[in-house]
Amino acid sequence: MRLAGMAAKTASVIGIGQTDWPADHARVRAGQKPHDSYGYAAEAFVAALADAGISRADVDGLIVGPTVAYERVGELLGLDVRWGGQADAMLAVLEACMAIHSGQAEVVALVYGNDQRSAAVNYGGADAQGGSAFLSYIYHAPWGFTSQGALYALMARRYMQERGMSEAELAEVAVAQRLAASRNPQALMRKPITVEDYLASPYICEPLHLFDYCLINDGGVALIIAEAGKAKRIGRAPVPIHGIGRHDLNTGATSLEPRLTDFYQPAQRAVGDQVFTMASLGPSDMDALQIYDSFSLHIPLALEGYGYCKTGEVGKFMREHGISLAKGLPVNTGGGHLSESYMQGWNHQIEAVRQLRGEAGERQVPDCRHVHYSSDVAGKAVSIIYGH
Amino acid sequence: MANSQRVLSLYDLPLWDSMERQKMALPRCSHCERFRYPPGPICAECNSMDYEWTEISGEGTILSWVVFHRQYFEDFPQPYNVIAVRLAEGPIVVSNLVGEEPQGSWIDRPVSITYRRHLDRTQHAFKLKAPDTNS
Repeated sequence: MRLAGMAAKTASVIGIGQTDWPADHARVRAGQKPHDSYGYAAEAFVAALADAGISRADVDGLIVGPTVAYERVGELLGLDVRWGGQADAMLAVLEACMAIHSGQAEVVALVYGNDQRSAAVNYGGADAQGGSAFLSYIYHAPWGFTSQGALYALMARRYMQERGMSEAELAEVAVAQRLAASRNPQALMRKPITVEDYLASPYICEPLHLFDYCLINDGGVALIIAEAGKAKRIGRAPVPIHGIGRHDLNTGATSLEPRLTDFYQPAQRAVGDQVFTMASLGPSDMDALQIYDSFSLHIPLALEGYGYCKTGEVGKFMREHGISLAKGLPVNTGGGHLSESYMQGWNHQIEAVRQLRGEAGERQVPDCRHVHYSSDVAGKAVSIIYGH
Repeated sequence: MANSQRVLSLYDLPLWDSMERQKMALPRCSHCERFRYPPGPICAECNSMDYEWTEISGEGTILSWVVFHRQYFEDFPQPYNVIAVRLAEGPIVVSNLVGEEPQGSWIDRPVSITYRRHLDRTQHAFKLKAPDTNS
């Protein structure tokens, strides 16, 4: 296998933007509908373009998130481009890098908006989202088994017994991310919590508690990614992508085989080899992690899977070494999906960029030089290493 | 809130017919004998498209379990359990444990198949095989 097929630092992030998530959330909770997904996406795009300090005419590629249609976003923004498509956050970054590497585009806008809260989108039950893409989300419904949270609860129960992780150790994730959120003015849930608060919170699908679940809110995020040379010429503070890669587990997916036997870790090991080789870096070089956290369980899975701690020691690692801004290896420094905003991986990308620019305010990781982003949703592992 | 629904692809229909007869069967590869779940047109092991519907033994062990404390379906008031069972034939199926529940961990407990009527369908459930001696 050719591990470093795509050169490191081919592309750089030159602009980031978002909507005002707390303001969006307050308006939605007050019964208003400030935007639909297109409006949130448009607002984020304008912010990202301004942040990059470039003009719209510089953009020659467009990739949109899964909740909006490519052509309509291009139409709304007045973007006639030479390359484009639709993808989730992590694959959008990967595809932008591939397009840039192959010369299909030089400056790509990545645009996401989601009105999931105001549109009352359901992730469980008879109209559960995602069933057309992931059969496991709907196949076991006759036995009452529904919601992605339940899939992770089933995985968590076995993982906790096999790897010796307690509920109080898993609580470290929610507690650490809430601490980060308390220092982030754009986070929705800012009141610090303790392990005791976590343990006293209700179960949703036991063994997972309320605090293990992501938020559901409206909002938008956008990034501008440019070819590295061009980024240096036109960008004000380019953040290069040092490594990026993907490995998917599909075999046995609907019968939950990759979840319940290997906890996705073969995919993480494969993609870890790929991106660390590409970047000529290793886990010990990372100053912060951003881990896709629809549920808290993703964090221990990734910490073990990528070799940040030994297999079977993740509970102890989280409790003793620490995964917060206060202690150890900071994970999800903006609060993540659990406490900042559920922007389906998009908020993690812009948080990585802010940390590397040194623009993270009270939650800034000192001397932050490399940030590892990981997602492993449904055993589809993607990693991105951002750096200086 | 609506009732739970089955996924009924072309390959699922004979499975549900077999559960209606209380003799659950799965497609078994004619070439390498691997069982397919969910039922499908091709063997993921050897890519043979030949298979026979074969009754399963109904024996298995619990891989994991959860308890729902939130209602998602009209026909599943909380709390209720869901288990993942490793069938003796190889595949993992998601089901419910009926009857006696184990003390302590449910993982690795031997179970055997039973059937129950639910709405307009007959579907599998599992019950503990050995009496619970771990209390």
